[in-house]
Amino acid sequence: MFALNFLLRRIVQGIVIIGLVTLLIFTLLRVVPGDPVRIMLGPMVAPSVMEQVATELGLRDPIPVQFGRYMLQVMKGDLGHSFIRNAQGGSTGGSRGGETFDLQNRAKVSELIANTIPYSILLAALAILFTVLISFPLGFVAGVYSGKWPDRLSLYVSSVLVSLPNVWLGIVLILLLSAWGGILPAIGYNGPSYAILPALVLAIELAPVMIRSIAVSVANSLQENYVSVGEVRGIKRRRMITHHVLRNASIPLLNLFGIQVIGMLLGSLFVVEYIFNYPGVGLLMINAVFQRDFPIIQAIAMLSSAVLVCVNILVDLAATNIDRRLQY
Amino acid sequence: MIEEIASGPAAIPAAKRGSSIGAQILALAWRAADFRIGLAVLAFLILASLLGPSVLGLSATKMDVANRFAPPIFLEGGTWKHILGTDQLGRDLLIRSLIGLRNALLIGTISTIGMFILGSTIGLVAGYFGKTVDLVLMRITDAQMAIPVIILAITILGVSRPNPVTIILVLVLAGWPAYARVVRSVTMSERRKEYVRASTILGASSIRVMLQQIAPNILPPVAFVALLDVARMMIFEAIFGFIGIGIQPPTPTFGTIIADGTKYLLNAWWITTIPGLLLALCLCSINLMGGALERARNTLLRGQ
Amino acid sequence: MQTNRSVLNVSQLSVDIEGRERRRILNEISFTLEADTVLGIIGQSGSGKTVLSRALVNWLRPPLRISGGSILFKGVDLATVNETAMQQLRGREIAYIGSDPANALDPTLPIGRQIAEKLMSVENDLARDAADRRVLQMLDAVRIPSSRQRFHEFPFQFSGGMMQRVMIVDALITNPAFLVADNITQPLDVTIAAQILRLLKELQRDFRTSTVFVSSALGVVAEIADRVIVLAHGEVVEQQGMHGLLDRPTHEYTRRLISEMPKIWGEEPLPTAVETPASETVLSVRDVSKTYSERDRNRFFVWNHIQAVRGVSFDVFRGENLGIIGESGCGKSTLSRLLGRVEAPDTGQIEFLGKDIAHMGRRQLLGLRKKFQLLLQDPFNAIPPHLTIGRTIAEPLYIQGGTSSVEVEKRVRATMIEVGLQEDLYDLLPVGLSAGQRQRVNIARAMVLDPELLILDETLSALDQVEQAKLIELFGDIQKRRGITYIYISHDLSLVRRVCNRIAVMYLGRVVELASNTDIFFNPQHPYTRALLSAVPAIEERRYLPETYLMEGEPPSPINIPAGCSFRSRCPLPIEICASVDPKLSATPSDGYAACHLITPIAQSTINS
Ligand code: SF4
Repeated sequence: MFALNFLLRRIVQGIVIIGLVTLLIFTLLRVVPGDPVRIMLGPMVAPSVMEQVATELGLRDPIPVQFGRYMLQVMKGDLGHSFIRNAQGGSTGGSRGGETFDLQNRAKVSELIANTIPYSILLAALAILFTVLISFPLGFVAGVYSGKWPDRLSLYVSSVLVSLPNVWLGIVLILLLSAWGGILPAIGYNGPSYAILPALVLAIELAPVMIRSIAVSVANSLQENYVSVGEVRGIKRRRMITHHVLRNASIPLLNLFGIQVIGMLLGSLFVVEYIFNYPGVGLLMINAVFQRDFPIIQAIAMLSSAVLVCVNILVDLAATNIDRRLQY
Repeated sequence: MIEEIASGPAAIPAAKRGSSIGAQILALAWRAADFRIGLAVLAFLILASLLGPSVLGLSATKMDVANRFAPPIFLEGGTWKHILGTDQLGRDLLIRSLIGLRNALLIGTISTIGMFILGSTIGLVAGYFGKTVDLVLMRITDAQMAIPVIILAITILGVSRPNPVTIILVLVLAGWPAYARVVRSVTMSERRKEYVRASTILGASSIRVMLQQIAPNILPPVAFVALLDVARMMIFEAIFGFIGIGIQPPTPTFGTIIADGTKYLLNAWWITTIPGLLLALCLCSINLMGGALERARNTLLRGQ
Repeated sequence: MQTNRSVLNVSQLSVDIEGRERRRILNEISFTLEADTVLGIIGQSGSGKTVLSRALVNWLRPPLRISGGSILFKGVDLATVNETAMQQLRGREIAYIGSDPANALDPTLPIGRQIAEKLMSVENDLARDAADRRVLQMLDAVRIPSSRQRFHEFPFQFSGGMMQRVMIVDALITNPAFLVADNITQPLDVTIAAQILRLLKELQRDFRTSTVFVSSALGVVAEIADRVIVLAHGEVVEQQGMHGLLDRPTHEYTRRLISEMPKIWGEEPLPTAVETPASETVLSVRDVSKTYSERDRNRFFVWNHIQAVRGVSFDVFRGENLGIIGESGCGKSTLSRLLGRVEAPDTGQIEFLGKDIAHMGRRQLLGLRKKFQLLLQDPFNAIPPHLTIGRTIAEPLYIQGGTSSVEVEKRVRATMIEVGLQEDLYDLLPVGLSAGQRQRVNIARAMVLDPELLILDETLSALDQVEQAKLIELFGDIQKRRGITYIYISHDLSLVRRVCNRIAVMYLGRVVELASNTDIFFNPQHPYTRALLSAVPAIEERRYLPETYLMEGEPPSPINIPAGCSFRSRCPLPIEICASVDPKLSATPSDGYAACHLITPIAQSTINS
């Protein structure tokens, strides 16, 4: 009963949030200077032709009308068509599709995204895996020995890691491991091994946040009264940690994961894909930004907020299952 | 028992009891070596970025085709004239890095202050009034948080003309929700404390309670930890520059320097790596200080 | 005591706190715990009694350290035994119950599972279902209602009293050889504490567990202990049989302890209550109610209504002390917030000096606030930590406005002197003030406006007996000088006994009895008042015995209050009509008011007609 009630309320809330985000991006894209039609058609086209195309595309209608029309489309499952790309064009390629611009034959945004998203998912999954592998042992040990040298060590390691700008780190790793070392492939995509290096960059960016949070929540959980009472009740410390402390520490961690880590991951995914020229959604997005391909930008922004909202709901649901107090 | 409470948390030096929470945090952080090291390095870098360009007397934008790809001093062929070498247009990398550092520090600091002010105000109001005000403000915060910073930034900066002001605005816009959330939750718990209720009982107005009673107690701890965000914002500035949506050339920024260097990675690897190292050093010093402040805050708040 | 078998032999036990300088907390404590007896340890806060009870189970954490002596248990010295061996003993042979039951178990797991977990980790070869069955049996034995269902509930779903029962189950389920009960009734309400004490006494008898019972309340220890140790400043000052101690205390400290015990029925004169003819009404409360709404998370579109205050009426006369007593959840703190107009009541009037303040706007109210003030409970948090003491006390003057800063300082200093604060505190921050001083700052802040009515919400509860007595005296002096009126809101019967002229007893959001001080204590009419009196820990002869008046059970939830008398579930003598008709507060023969069908036949007849 609770779960259903909770889910329903959260999904409604989530839809409102996604709606707000979409509206925000939609408005921003239309009030900032720069006419996409000019980019679409190139600089040599007569103003009258430009106006005609713009009107045909509905770009001259008032923003609320455009937004309403867009939302109706989205609800029907149609994310629109790219301004720039042709249906047969490469999935993330940079140039305009061919010499002639064909209004009727533009690529569907949903297909463009569907073509790139598997790559992004692979990269994100790998990044999370690396992050967990790095941060769990370090964070856990730091939390258990809070204030002692393992804690200090993890603190300094994370201070250093968090100070490495991902754009720089990416290039340095390409130089060291790929160009000089020849250990891992780097630019583009030609098999899953191309995801390793970018995933590593992402993991190094996410790990410090996780390490510190794990350390703090484990240390805080250990401070709880029931832990020391448990000792006097006759429960061994080891069991106390594995069965109770970790369970309690997971709640703030889940929250952090849902809000901060996934948010960071989504953002940095775009940057890292750009650095490595990795053909995922992020590269699609950044190229779309340079080309003012509004439908693509719009759809990806909506998609990423939807991902965040969903992860959040799942995480909260998990947290309320672990700690029943959150249900009351 | 009274004696026990008065002799309180052992971590606070006796002389420092009685001073404001901000001073206590600073004093406690100062006792950590990493705070002092971070401060020294940061102070040096700030000074260098302010004075360096005029002391060295070189131009950041002047091209010198004869001196392209000059290696840094520690490599074979390096000269004292260009300590960190030159880039593909023969511009001195040290000067470019120092100016880039200055810009990054300015943008990072101003935007952090901006998001702190905006976020704290919204958080204070939401946490204090609760109910509908809270609901509305928090939904807006949620929505704002549901857009990753980068996505918001590349959308806005990518389609408009980026300049320092728009960059700062974008960063503020992207960063305030985190502050709003934190300040809101501490305000809510502070609001229930008896001294705040006591003030309400005396008939104090909401503004008076918020500004005079709550804000001075909860904002300093948040403000200190905001230092960590200066570093984060500097990274964002570098990312924007790298993608090409930061401060536009010819003004040097770390992002553009790194991006330029990637094209010549194999024959002039220092163009990208060395300025980046300088940035990382600066970020590391800020993060060391921020970390020490954060620990000091946690110790104090837990001790109370 | 017939067998002289000793379970625990403590000799010359010393505990130090290690720090920059070493300080002795316990000094050469020696005693023996006989089999099947209860040894009481009495000591005030700071006497080292909690440290001692933890030392007995070898549960001291740095910087505390046992620095000498021995604790012999079955031939093992617990003071020096290694951690692994101690682990074997804890939970199985040695049990400990603390004063914070709410935080004693993992909040995210059901209590039954956690007790079973402990049982299984102590008795290795026990199967899961056998363990569960034993836990259930024990839950029944401590009379936790619907134990099968509660087995699967979480710690936060239990009230303080029920949770303490759970902890008793947890401690006794392995049938330990000895039990340390450290201040276990301290956080509980009197009637609940009395129930727990009664339960522990029975269990001790049935299980024959040798028990060390530690408490700061002599009355509580007197109830259960066979022998008693008096602890002061880390030393044993006296050690003898319980009766002997009360009748013939040998040590000066013990004698003072006994004489300081507040007497409820003793014939001492009431110190501060000034007898003034009840003439002018200062505050008139009429049918005031307050309900809070809360979303029911488990059902759609359902809100729970928590009826915190339900139709309360009374008058307060000039120059008197009115007491409002009740246990937690009775609505007295909500009532204090309504009287102090921190919140507005849903219905009813609160007339202060003839004006209804119940729904007055903030601006209008501000002028009146000069004349009535509410003092809060917690002396530590009621003062803003970032303002100087002088500034804090001046705050109401600034809020009211219209006083020059010279005048403000003059009045603040004058008030500081009046409440007994040194003037040189004026420019200091409150850090480091003692609880008594802090409470004086609070009082000064309320007094600086020269109010006519002061509402004291548990204001003195956090202070020790001595400090409490001083402040009561201070309030009395101020009253004599300024003719002020007080409302004491408290859970402490002995306090209201000492200071109040009239007393209102609250239960579940209602005033169930309102009468003069003497009548409440010597001739209570309502069954709840009697239950309350029977539960007070006291060393005097009780006028009301818990056996007769104190029933099992806890107050019903304020969300779904059943029809009829709300005390019915705990009333020893309910009659038929109680189930359907809610008794009204009506005049009693002895000039008071009570809400019970038994004693107000007048009310019944009005209902019948
Ligand atoms: S009305 Fe009935 S149930 Fe209520 S207190 Fe009186 S006798 Fe007991």
